[in-house]
Amino acid sequence: MRGGAIPVLAWACLLAVLMTGNAVWTGDAIQIGEYGFAVLTIVLVAAALVRADRTAIRRGAPEAPSRPRVEASPDLSFAAVLAAIALASILFGLTWAYFLVYFGAGLLIMSLGRLALELQAARASRERFERGSPPERPERERLP
Amino acid sequence: MSATAPSVSTVSRASGLFGAAASTDHKRIGLNMGLASLLFFLGAGVMALLMRTQLAQPHVRFVSDQTYNELFTMHGSTMIFLFVTPMAMALATYLVPLQIGASSISAPRLALSAFWIWLSGGIIMQLGWLTEEGAGRSGWFAYVPLSNSANTPGVGQDLWTVGVILAAGGLTIIGGCVLATIARRRAPGMSMMRMPVFTWTGLVSVLMVVGSFPVVILAMSLLYAERLGARVFIGYSGAIDYQDLFWFFGHPVVYVMFFPFLGAAAEAIAVNAHKRWFGYAAFVASMLAFAALSMSVWSHHMFTTGGVTNQYFATTSTALAVPAGIEYFDMVATLIGGAILLRTSMLFALGFFLQFLIGGLSGIFVASPVLDYHAEDSYIVVGHFHYTLFAGSVFGFFAGVYHWFPKVTGARLREGLGKLHFVLLLVGTNMTFLPMFFLGNDGMPRRIAEYPNHPGWGTLNLLETVGAGVIALGVLAFLVNVVVSLRNREVAGEDPWLGHTLEWATSSPPPRHNFERPLPPITSYAPLLDLRERAQRDASAVRVPAGRGGRGPWPQEGAP
Repeated sequence: MRGGAIPVLAWACLLAVLMTGNAVWTGDAIQIGEYGFAVLTIVLVAAALVRADRTAIRRGAPEAPSRPRVEASPDLSFAAVLAAIALASILFGLTWAYFLVYFGAGLLIMSLGRLALELQAARASRERFERGSPPERPERERLP
Repeated sequence: MSATAPSVSTVSRASGLFGAAASTDHKRIGLNMGLASLLFFLGAGVMALLMRTQLAQPHVRFVSDQTYNELFTMHGSTMIFLFVTPMAMALATYLVPLQIGASSISAPRLALSAFWIWLSGGIIMQLGWLTEEGAGRSGWFAYVPLSNSANTPGVGQDLWTVGVILAAGGLTIIGGCVLATIARRRAPGMSMMRMPVFTWTGLVSVLMVVGSFPVVILAMSLLYAERLGARVFIGYSGAIDYQDLFWFFGHPVVYVMFFPFLGAAAEAIAVNAHKRWFGYAAFVASMLAFAALSMSVWSHHMFTTGGVTNQYFATTSTALAVPAGIEYFDMVATLIGGAILLRTSMLFALGFFLQFLIGGLSGIFVASPVLDYHAEDSYIVVGHFHYTLFAGSVFGFFAGVYHWFPKVTGARLREGLGKLHFVLLLVGTNMTFLPMFFLGNDGMPRRIAEYPNHPGWGTLNLLETVGAGVIALGVLAFLVNVVVSLRNREVAGEDPWLGHTLEWATSSPPPRHNFERPLPPITSYAPLLDLRERAQRDASAVRVPAGRGGRGPWPQEGAP
């Protein structure tokens, strides 16, 4: 989207200047390392935005698309919730009770499988909409 | 038209608890995060009251030394990781897509996951209270070697460490979602320099989150490894390295907890003064500079360690006064000549700016290494950061709550109860935190479970304890206000305050995809104000026909 990467890059430049001051003044490896990480992360974010859309680096307001962009938007995602709980369960298990690590790993695999089905259903819905077909029954009814 | 219309729902809606828990609607995610944060805030408040009871008089033994250590550790951790920072992210998650005319947040599943990761982290952190050795107790920064397994044994500290990893991870992901939304989902016409003030403050906050929060995840992972027996932070240099890693997150997070509430207060001031926010371009530039500088000051927390270059960090810390000054100038200039309405949101916004000034000015003192040697580890520092985070951010938060509550719920909060809430909080806050500067200057150290019968200390501490009780009454008044306002609703309508930004151009609460009507033309950072001004101009042009001193009923060339 037009202009989205400009403030990100501008901010990365400001950070780079301050990081250079830090490197010259302190010469501390840890400080340069963590500051360098932050600058690199922000530059990578800007690069990703430009890669996704070249106009992200051009000034001006976003224009209305000539053809409306259709987007499949989920109302619910149990897969996302389960994946988060799985991750928490693994870390909690490391601290508290090891069986939770296995439980979390199993839950993570299940949730990723469910996520794949959700994404597949979303793509199918979008394609149907673009073809002009009537919407099919909701994904929840089709999933096992 | 919103930026991403039309959208196709691919999963049928579920109502009730499951629907609320698994909804990918950014408004529901923001609301869930806000409500959970508020519960953590109440918990942290109880911990603060317990500590203040202990400190009410010299030699009071209300809780044991270890419990006191757990209380101040968990109070600080809860306020920072589980209330103020996530509340800032919750506000951004709820409001940013609405303010930029988007139909949803970017990567909604990821945002939903992030909320649950953060919440799990918060719960795991608090589970430490149930363990035999108690909760985390080595401060919210968990300095090494105090926080290693030899000095702080027990599962509670492990749970704290894992909880911080998860909470910071969740906040980083949700910050990334907000950043992608701003960069990629603005409505046609919404250039970066037409984004509302709150959205800009949200943008710089999430840039800081993405740049600095991964470092604390690394620091906590290394601490966890250290607690498991790995030798990571060895000796004096290891302790300094840990502090460098921690504060690289620990100082930027202070600004992540400040900027969105600055944005909320700025929106409340502009709307209640019936004026455009003054000096928009300067404000935006100062925000970017403010955020960059605040990423460059972290080692001022380590002035007295002797392990950092004090000159660099003193310079960058003092330089923060420049962008902060621009923001204050903009605020004052917005008020000048405005038709000011002292609604509750305006009172809280003014309270935010005035009290943050005390926090900010005391910050300039401790930005000087010479003065910091006097203030270090004393109650001066406690007073300073409570004036920035409580008297500042929490007042900004309440300004936002009173301003946007009608948008979120469709009902207005009661003004009378709101003003009672404001007065109690204002009085309580200053009773509690102002004496800390005097106590600190007189040598009272922070993090002590009891203190000697030094002349004057007992009286000032008692005053602080009474003040903490008054704060609790203020929070109670707020909760009563919410319950009363939701049970006996005063219908707010779409735009009860004559707002300036796009969230006021949709129903209250907004529909699933935010906007069901075409958006108004976006010609500046206050599109609804533009619309009203244009209508006023048109009306006056009709009253005074062209050729008799009027400008004519047609749109003027070059008009915004």
